Amino acid sequence: MVTREIDRSAAKAPGRAWVLALGAWAVPGLGHLAQRKWTRGLLLGGVVWVMFFTGLALGGHLFRISGNDQGFSALLQLLPMSANFGAGLLYIFCWLTNTGFVEQAQRVTYEYGNTFLLVAGLLNYLAMLDAFDIAAGRKQ
Amino acid sequence: MRHLLWMALFASLTAVVFGVVAKGSERQRLIYGLKVFAEFIVIAFILGWILYFLPLH
Repeated sequence: MVTREIDRSAAKAPGRAWVLALGAWAVPGLGHLAQRKWTRGLLLGGVVWVMFFTGLALGGHLFRISGNDQGFSALLQLLPMSANFGAGLLYIFCWLTNTGFVEQAQRVTYEYGNTFLLVAGLLNYLAMLDAFDIAAGRKQ
Repeated sequence: MRHLLWMALFASLTAVVFGVVAKGSERQRLIYGLKVFAEFIVIAFILGWILYFLPLH
């Protein structure tokens, strides 16, 4: 009985699951909160938001591909940029306002900041997949 | 000392996410999160001591 219910929800969920995954990527924590997974949403979203702003406060910088990057140089920027991009609208807001893209290598905590920013995006990808799995009925 | 605190903050935040998205009962996930946190800290100390003895400068 229980198995059938889970199977049925998994079969009809994909459309909704994709929308929730997109929401989870755009606003960290939203994918879970929209599914009334309050504790998960607050924990996952809270961690991503805290890591992102801590990273900026520590002097870390976000990555992007500029017109100056060609060939292998562009590829080197692409990988960390895709990690940063995981933070969703936080990254897009910073990109639009040109915030956090300046290197502050003179600061002692610069590398910590970079790591916090990169991992904030990567963890949000993980949270996004978790929200998708819950919406698709693959996980409770 | 400040580096250690930032590293501990990083380890704790990452461990929270790993623990939350893991499968299993609440207790199992809590233990997994604590294990991830402990692994981060222990490995960081080991790597730190290895680098300390390397003649890098």
